Amino acid sequence: MSVKKTYWKGLSEKNQTPEFVEANSKEFQEDLPIDQFIGGEDVDQFKTPRRDFLKYMGFSVAAATLASCEAPVIKSIPYTNKPEEITPGVANWYRSAFYDGSDFSNVLVKTREARPIWLKGVKEGYAKGGITPRISTSILNLYNSSRLNGPLANGKESSWESVDKNIKSELNKIASSGGNIRILSNTIISPSTHKVIGEFKEAFGSNVEHVQYDPISYNGIRKANEASFGADFLPDYHFDKAKVIVSINADFIANWIMPTKYGVDYSKTRKPENDWMSKHYQFESVLSLTGSNADYRAQIKPSQEGIVASTILNALEGGKLDASLGENLVARIQELADVLKPFKNKGETLVVSGSNNSSVQMIVNKINDVLGNYGSTIDANNSLNVFNGDDSAVETLVKDVNAGKVDALLVYGSNPVYSLPNGAAFAEALGKVKLTISFSEYADETATKCTYVCPDHNYLESWNDLMPTKGHYALQQPVITPLYDTRQAQESLMVWAGNASRGDGESTEYYDVLQTNAEQLGLEWNWSVHDGFNEVNSNNSSSIEFKGDLNNALSTIKKAAENTGTWEFIAYQKELGAGQYAANAWLQELPDAVTKVVWDNYITMAPSDCYKTFGIDTDNPKSAWDGVHLGQEEPAYVATVKVGEQSLKLPVYPLPGQAAGTIGISFGYGRGENQENIGKAAYQVGEYGDYLEEKGKKVPVGGNVYKFTSFKDGEIVYAGPAELSVNDEKYALACTQTHHTIMGRTSILKETTYDVYTDPATQKEDYNPSHVLHSHAEGGHSTVDATDISLWDEHPVEHVGHRWGMSIDLSSCNGCGVCITSCHSENNVPVVGKDEVRRSRDMQWLRMDRYFTSIEDDNRNAWQSNKREGSFDYDKMEVPEDNPAVMFMPMLCQHCNHAPCETVCPVAATTHSNEGLNMMAYNRCIGTRYCGNNCPYKVRRFNWFNYRDYRKFKSINPTQDEMARMVLNPDVVVRSRGVMEKCSFCVQRIQEGKLNAKKEARPVVDGDVVTACADACPNGCITFGDWNDTSSEIRRITDLDTNETNRSYQALEEVGVKPNVWYQLKVRNT
Amino acid sequence: MHKEADIRKPLILGDKTYRDITDDIIRPIESKAPKAWYILILLSGILALWGIGCIVYLLGTGVGVWGLNKTVEWAWDITNFVWWVGIGHAGTLISAVLLLFRQKWRFAINRAAEAMTIFAVMMAGLFPLIHMGRLWVGYWVFPLPNQFGSMWVNFNSPLLWDVFAISTYFSVSLVFWYIGLLPDFGTIRDRVTKPLAKKVYGILSFGWTGDAKAWNRFELVSLVLAGLATPLVFSVHSIVSFDFATSIVPGWHTTIFPPYFVSGAVFSGFAMVQTLMLVLRKAYKLEAYLHVKHVEYMNIVIIVTGSIVGVAYITELFVSWYSGVEYESYAFLNRATGPYWWAYWSMMTCNVISPQLFWFKKLRTSLVFSFFMSLIINIGMWFERFVIIVTSIHRDYVPSSWTYFHPTWVDIGVFMGTLGIFFTLYLLFSRYFPVLPIAELKSILKSSSESYKEGFGHGKGYWDKQLEH
Repeated sequence: MSVKKTYWKGLSEKNQTPEFVEANSKEFQEDLPIDQFIGGEDVDQFKTPRRDFLKYMGFSVAAATLASCEAPVIKSIPYTNKPEEITPGVANWYRSAFYDGSDFSNVLVKTREARPIWLKGVKEGYAKGGITPRISTSILNLYNSSRLNGPLANGKESSWESVDKNIKSELNKIASSGGNIRILSNTIISPSTHKVIGEFKEAFGSNVEHVQYDPISYNGIRKANEASFGADFLPDYHFDKAKVIVSINADFIANWIMPTKYGVDYSKTRKPENDWMSKHYQFESVLSLTGSNADYRAQIKPSQEGIVASTILNALEGGKLDASLGENLVARIQELADVLKPFKNKGETLVVSGSNNSSVQMIVNKINDVLGNYGSTIDANNSLNVFNGDDSAVETLVKDVNAGKVDALLVYGSNPVYSLPNGAAFAEALGKVKLTISFSEYADETATKCTYVCPDHNYLESWNDLMPTKGHYALQQPVITPLYDTRQAQESLMVWAGNASRGDGESTEYYDVLQTNAEQLGLEWNWSVHDGFNEVNSNNSSSIEFKGDLNNALSTIKKAAENTGTWEFIAYQKELGAGQYAANAWLQELPDAVTKVVWDNYITMAPSDCYKTFGIDTDNPKSAWDGVHLGQEEPAYVATVKVGEQSLKLPVYPLPGQAAGTIGISFGYGRGENQENIGKAAYQVGEYGDYLEEKGKKVPVGGNVYKFTSFKDGEIVYAGPAELSVNDEKYALACTQTHHTIMGRTSILKETTYDVYTDPATQKEDYNPSHVLHSHAEGGHSTVDATDISLWDEHPVEHVGHRWGMSIDLSSCNGCGVCITSCHSENNVPVVGKDEVRRSRDMQWLRMDRYFTSIEDDNRNAWQSNKREGSFDYDKMEVPEDNPAVMFMPMLCQHCNHAPCETVCPVAATTHSNEGLNMMAYNRCIGTRYCGNNCPYKVRRFNWFNYRDYRKFKSINPTQDEMARMVLNPDVVVRSRGVMEKCSFCVQRIQEGKLNAKKEARPVVDGDVVTACADACPNGCITFGDWNDTSSEIRRITDLDTNETNRSYQALEEVGVKPNVWYQLKVRNT
Repeated sequence: MHKEADIRKPLILGDKTYRDITDDIIRPIESKAPKAWYILILLSGILALWGIGCIVYLLGTGVGVWGLNKTVEWAWDITNFVWWVGIGHAGTLISAVLLLFRQKWRFAINRAAEAMTIFAVMMAGLFPLIHMGRLWVGYWVFPLPNQFGSMWVNFNSPLLWDVFAISTYFSVSLVFWYIGLLPDFGTIRDRVTKPLAKKVYGILSFGWTGDAKAWNRFELVSLVLAGLATPLVFSVHSIVSFDFATSIVPGWHTTIFPPYFVSGAVFSGFAMVQTLMLVLRKAYKLEAYLHVKHVEYMNIVIIVTGSIVGVAYITELFVSWYSGVEYESYAFLNRATGPYWWAYWSMMTCNVISPQLFWFKKLRTSLVFSFFMSLIINIGMWFERFVIIVTSIHRDYVPSSWTYFHPTWVDIGVFMGTLGIFFTLYLLFSRYFPVLPIAELKSILKSSSESYKEGFGHGKGYWDKQLEH
C-alpha cells in the first residue's frame, strides 16, 4: 500500500499555525522595507504628489523624445554569400556596347556593388573611345522609376504567361487567316536579332514584314549611293584622314551618323603638333557644335544646301558660279574651291551633307568623287549598318496601317506615334490594327496605344551583339540583373515563334543564339566578351565608280530652292537626341553646347531677324541686342511657327550665327504630351517643385518638332517653308551663361592661327605672350613677368611629393560636353532644374564656357596693338557678331596654389593639401560663401537648398527617387544644404590610385590617377597627372621650360593665384 | 564745470531750471503714451514679426530663398549688414569722440544716438548670422578648443576679424550706453510712484546713490570707456571694409576702403540720428534742448563726411583708370555705365551731390529740409554698399559667369523686418528710457543755456521760478 509522505520546512508549517497560514497567503511573507527607502514616512500616508508625477512624466517624455531624435538609419544588408566577383568598395569594370538606334559606341561600364554607376568609351573600340553625352548619361535611364514592371495587356498589368498565351494564339490566328504582320523597329545592327526576326518570319509565314525606321533618317545618302554607284550603302567616313573638311548642315561632331567616332577622328586633325592640321569649312543654317569648331563658316538656308553643293562642284571644275547665293557665299565658295583644287583626285578631303535629300547627296557624292575621296576618306566597302531605315517603306507601312491593311504590328526600339511626321494620325490608325505589341521599356506614346506592352530590358541588363559596320562585332553584356520584371524583346519574339520555352525574365535562349552566331563568324566567345568587341574579316575591296545622272539631281535642287517664302524652318538634333532621353535629368540639365539653354527647346533665329520680328530699334547695336538678351528676369519672346496644318508655340532664342530667314527647332522634346509615364523629369516643374499644368495636363519640356516633318517622294523632309507669327507673351528660358563674349580678355582665352604657330620665324612670345606687369621699383620703369611677383612664399607643394595638375587642350576640344556629364555622375552633383538654372544656380562642377567673337573685337585689338590710340566701345563688345567665331573653354576649379578662396574662409573649411589640391571639408563649412565671391574663375557651387529632400527638386534630382538613388557614386558624399562644393580633381580617384600603387608596393606612376573628365574625354584633350613627376605627360605638355609645343598658359595668370590647371591655346587653321 | 564764451550760441533755450530738465525728459515715461506711439509700435511690430517670419522661412528652407546666385553670393544680406553697422557708428562717435573733444552740444543727442547704435548693431549682427548656410554650426567662427586639436579658425580671414570687431564694438557700446543711463535711472526711480516701476527702475539703476564717490567713479568710467570706444569707432568699419579690401575682386580690392568706409559710416550714422531726433524732438517737445543749432552742427558733420565719401568715389574712379588694370577699369566703368548704372547714379546723387546743398546756411538750418536729406542720405548709403558689393561681383573676371542679381520677396522681407525690429526697439526705448541724458544736460545748463548767456547767469524770471518750487 502506498504511503503518503509529507515534507515540511519547519514546525510552523507542519503544525499549520495561524501565523504561518496568514503569512503563506501573502506574496511577500515579510513586509517590503518600503519605509526605508521612502525616508521613514508612513506608508499609508505616502502618495505621489501631482507635481512629482508631472516631473517624472515630463522627464520620461523628454527622455523618450530625445532618444528618438536620431538621424534616420538607412540599413545596408551584408551578403550572406558574397558573390565571388564583388568586393564591397572596389569597382568592377565591364566592357559592353551601347546602341540606341542612332548612337553606337563600345563602352566600359563601372559597377559598384553590382550597380552600374559610370561609363566611358573604349579607346580600342570602333568609335575610338568616343561617346556622346547621351551615352554618358544613359546610366540614369536604367534607374528610371517609370520603367514598366512587367507586361501590360490593354493597359493593365498582366503576367508573362498570359500575355504570351494570348499573343501566340492571336498571331497564329492572323497568320493562318493570311493577315499581314509587320515589325516596325529602329535600325537593327545586331545580326542575332536579325536572325531571331528571320525565325519569327518563318514561323508566321510570308505575310510578315520587317520595316526599319529612323526618326532622324539618313536614307537620302543610301538612295544617292544607289543612284550614283548602283549600291545601297552608307559608307564609313574617315575624318581623321581629311585635310580639308567641308560640311553642309552636317553636325558630325555631335549628331551626324556616327558622332562618337567622327568627333574623335576630327579632333585628331585639330592638334597643331601633328604633321598637318585640317581646314574645316562649314555651311549651315543653325550654329551647330560642328559649325562652332569650323575654321570658316557660312550661313545658308536649308533650301540652299543643294545649290551650295552644286556651286562647290562647279567652282571645283572651273565653271561659272551661281550668283543667286549672294556675294558673300559665292566668295566663300570660291575661296574653298581654291583650297580644294590642289586636292583633286588625292583622296585627302571630305565633303559631307546633313541633308536627307538624295539629290543633294548625289552632288556631294560627285564632289567627293572628283576629289578622289572614295577609297580613302570614304570607305564604301566596310560600310555602316546603322541608319538602314527605308523612308519609303515606312511611308508605305503608315499608309497600310491607315488603310487598315495591317493586322498585327510589333513595335520595337522605336516610338512612331511620337516621331512620325503625322504621329497623331498614326496613333488613331493603330486602333484599326487587331494586334499591336510594343517592346518599349516605358508606357510611352506608342506603347499606350498598343494592345500589349512587353517591356524590353535596358541595354545594361541585356545580352546582344552589335555590328555598326560590316567589320566590327561588339558584344553587349548585362552588368546588372534586371531591375524590373522585364524580358528582352528578342526573347519575346523567340517565345512567340516557339523557339524558346521560357517565359520568365531571364534570357538564356537568346544568349545561345548569340554564341552560335559568334561561332559562325569564327569568333572566340570568351575573349569577345572580355574585350567587348572583335574584328570580323570583311575584306571585299571592290572599287566603285560614279555613274549617276547629275542633271536630274541638279534640276530637283533648283526647283527646291525656288519659292521658299520668307521663313524656312529646319529641324535639327542636339544633345537630347531623337527623343529617347526626355526624362533623363542629367541630360536635360546639360547646357546646349552653343546656346547654353537647359530643360527646353526653342526657336533659334538670327538676332537681326529677332529685331525685325519683335520690333526692336536697331540703330544702336547694344540696345538692340539688349532687347533680345535673355536673363533671369529677361524672358524670351514667344512665337508660333506654322508648317502646313501643324503649329508649335515656342520661345525664341536669338542665336548669333544663324542664317537670316531661318528658324531652327531641335528634335527630342515635347515627349509625353498625353501624360504618358516616361519618367518624372519629362515634365516642367514650377518654382516649388509641382508640375506645371495647362488645362489639367502636365506641361512637357519643350515642343515636338517631328510634326513639322513630312514624307516627300519617299524621303522624310526635315526642313521647308514655314510661317511665323508673334505671340503676345514671354517665356523664361534658363541659360547657364547669359553673357556671350569674352570682352577682349586675352588672358583668359588665347588663340592663334596655324600659320603663325607653325612659322619657324615665330617664337612663343608671338602667339602665347606671357603677361607682363609694369614696375616702377628702383626709380625707373621696367617690366616684370606677372608670375614672378607674389606676396606669398612659393607653396611648398611645388617641389615635394605629388602635385596634381591638369592640362586642357583648347585646340582639340570640340565642346561636346562629355566631361560635364561624366563629372556630373562621378561626383553626385545635384540636378537643380530649370528654375534654379534660370537663377544662375547651376551646380555643375565643370562647365563649358562658350564665347562668341564680338562686333568690337577688331577695334579692341587695334586699340591694344596701336599703343592705345583710337577707341573701342565696351558696350559693343557685349554684342556678338552676326557670324561669330566660337570658342569653347572647359572651366573647373583651377586648384590654385595661392588660392584666394582659402585665405578668406573664417573656419578653414577650404584648405590646400600637400599635393596641391584645393580641398573642401564639407563638414567644416558654415556657408559664408566668401570663397565663392573671391574665386576669380567662379567655379565654386553653393548648396542653396537641401537638394536631397527639398520639395522643389522632388521630381528632378535623382537623389529624391528610391530607384535613381542607386546611381550615386558611393565614394563621393552627397552634400548637405548650406555648404560650398566644387571640383575636387576627383580626390576619390586620386586616393584609389595611390592605394592601388601602395598595395602593389610601387610608386604612383603616370596614368594611375585620372579624373573622371579626363577619363571620359573622347578626344584626349584633358591630361591629368603629377606635375612633380618630371617624366609625366602633364609635365611634358605644360612645363614651358622644356616643352616643345609652347601652347601652355594659365587662365588669368596675372591675378597671381598660380593655378594647377593649364590650358593649351587654341589654334585655328584660318 | 567748464566755462564757455558768451559769444557761443546757447545750447539750451529758454528759462530752464534743473527741475525743468528732469520734468521735461521724464514726462513721457510718467505720463500715458500718446495714441501715435501705439500706432507706430503696432506698425513696426507687425513689420518686425513679418521679418522674423521671413528669417524663420530662410533658416528652415535654405539661403536659396534669397535671390543670390553662383556669381553674386552676397547681395542684400551683406549690404544690410554694412548699412546697419554704418548707422551704428554715430552713437559711439557722438558719445565717445565728441566727449573726448568736449563738445557740449553732443548732450542733446548722445543718449538717443547710442540707443540707435545698440539697436543698429544688433540688426547688423543678425545678417552675418542668417546669411550663413549652416547657422547651427556658426559657433565654429569662435576659436573654441575642440577635440580635433588642430581644428582652429582661420586668422587670415577678414570674416573672423569681423566677428571680433563687431562683438567688441557691441559690448563696449552697450556698457558705455548703460553706464550713462545709471544716474538717470536713479532719478526716475526716485520719482516714479507705481511700485512695479519703482522696483524695475531700482534694479536698472544698479542702486545708484548719487553721492560724490558715485559721481566721481561715473565720470572716470565714462572717460575710460570713451577712450576705449574711440579707436573702436574707427576699427570696426575699417575691419568691415577689409572684407572687401583684402579680396581679389576688382572693385573690392581697394586700399582706400578703411577711411572711406569709416567716413561713410559717420555720414550715414549722423543722417540716421537726424531722422530719429527730429521726430523725437517734435513728439516729446524737446525743442529747448535740441534745436536748430544742433541740427546745424550735425549737418556740418554730414557735409564733411559726405565730401570725404565723394572724394573717395572720385579717387576710386581715377585710380581704376590710372592703374591700367583691365579688370579694375572695367569694374568701375561697369558701375557707372553697366546694367547697374541706376544704382550707381542713385548713390552718387544721394551721397555726393545732395549733401553739398548744406553749404547754404538756409538749407542747413531748415529742419524740414534736414529731415528730408537725412532720408536721402540713408537711401544713398544703402545704395553705396549695394553698389560696392553687387556691381563688383556680378561682373568680375570670367565673362561666362557674369549675371545679374534679382532680390526675392524674402530678401526684401528680411530687410524690412530689421527696420521693424529696429523701430520697435527704438520706440520701446523712447517710451521707457530717458531719451536725453538728464544729468549731463544739467551739467551744461549753467554754461550754455540761453538764460545764462543773457548776461546774468539766468534770465528774467529765473529766480521767480526757483522760488516757486
